[in-house]
Amino acid sequence: MESNGKQYHIQLERGDVGKYVLLPGDPGRCEPISRLFDNPKHVATNREYVTYTGTLDGVPVSVTSTGIGCPSAAIALEELVRCGADTFIRVGTSGHIQKDIRSGELAIISAAIRDEGTSRHYMPIEFPAIADIDVVLALQAAAKKTGAVHRTGITQSKDSFYGQHEPERMGVAKDLLERWKAWEIGGALCSEMEASALFVIASMLRVRAGGVMMVHAKEPMPPLDILLETAVQGLRELIAADKAAGRSVTL
Amino acid sequence: MKQYHTQTELGEVGRYVLMPGDPGRVPLIAARLENAVHIATNREYVTYTGWLEGEKVSVTSTGIGCPSSAIAVEELYRSGADTFIRVGTSGSLQPGTKSNDLAVVTGAIRHEGTSSHYMPIEFPAVCDLEIVQAMRSAVERLGVRYQVGISHSKDSFYGEVEPERSANSEQLKDLWRAWQIGGAICSEMEISTICIVSSILRARAGGIMAMHGEGEFGPLDGLIVAAVESVRDLIKMDKAKAA
Repeated sequence: MESNGKQYHIQLERGDVGKYVLLPGDPGRCEPISRLFDNPKHVATNREYVTYTGTLDGVPVSVTSTGIGCPSAAIALEELVRCGADTFIRVGTSGHIQKDIRSGELAIISAAIRDEGTSRHYMPIEFPAIADIDVVLALQAAAKKTGAVHRTGITQSKDSFYGQHEPERMGVAKDLLERWKAWEIGGALCSEMEASALFVIASMLRVRAGGVMMVHAKEPMPPLDILLETAVQGLRELIAADKAAGRSVTL
Repeated sequence: MKQYHTQTELGEVGRYVLMPGDPGRVPLIAARLENAVHIATNREYVTYTGWLEGEKVSVTSTGIGCPSSAIAVEELYRSGADTFIRVGTSGSLQPGTKSNDLAVVTGAIRHEGTSSHYMPIEFPAVCDLEIVQAMRSAVERLGVRYQVGISHSKDSFYGEVEPERSANSEQLKDLWRAWQIGGAICSEMEISTICIVSSILRARAGGIMAMHGEGEFGPLDGLIVAAVESVRDLIKMDKAKAA
């Protein structure tokens, strides 16, 4: 669906974005992230979708907010792919599941629990939500360079923020508590609200997606700087690896 | 104390275990290890243990299907193993696949009953990243044809190869189309459960498969060499990390 030649929701067209896109949830984080690019320019704002495009090592890169939740994140991904983007890093904050994680640690996401409704509109529930291995490796290399404390693993992608934080209030309290325990037993690191749909849709569209989250545990959250720096360095690592492999880095 | 089904005990298996489905393939794989000896045979579980790069490496068959594979992982873990690498044959889902092309598996579709006894269905069956890296480096070095991606782990062989015979044939065909759309590369019967059980045990799981595709399916030597070389690369990676 298009309006005036632009994608319906994100209000972008081919040429507006690079192949490499960072995906924060919060529209307010796009401008600060764009300042880590060279020559950043605001491209579009519509609903919760804010986009800036700049360059890294001379290669066009973008940042587009997804809004909260898989429904709006799915739209962002679909429409960005139609604008030519093919490599995505979700960047944002998350809650902790493993009890030994401390606030400020980064979780590099290898796969996601599909505890949400959107990805079922794309693929049966048995299908795994898996991050692209090259994006994961790039983020691991990036975290080493930025010096971020990090680990790699699974995230829970949920539809209800308050269902996680105040489960006892809910009509399905017992179910929510039991499932949280299951995710803990399974080794999931963190909990956020977009990765699973991004990964399933990326599989279908044959594009690459991954994610890096700062985890909020018991302690107060530190500033997000090292998260944003790591995500941007992740794009640099991907661009360098793609160049080395002879893969085109521009549209 | 010997484990109930695999009849192995602590010390008899290595940290690394190659897991074919077919017990008949265990000695063929073990022959590629150094100084491999037969450890146990019980039911569909045959175990040999040998060496690679100075590390103890075992081969244990799982039998066909997730129920017997879950038992193998559980009991091998209790015998000292923590790295499980499935090696076997599979169907293919993507066009252009030629017979004996290798599939390096990154994760699996949980189209089976066993893994739901361990974790809710929303939880992903994901392979260990280091194993995937080791496999990729091994197949690149060997210069063989390969794909990297998701495996379909199913409970019914004939439901896949002859779906029209099943009462729910339309559903099976619709799902097969879904897995193709999703980009799954191969179809076999064990990896999803091996991954899920490994997640719970905080162990590592992976899989490398020889796919049936266009043309005659040939001998499995290429698959077995790639699997053994993958373990070799993984051992080197683990040693470098520990150093």
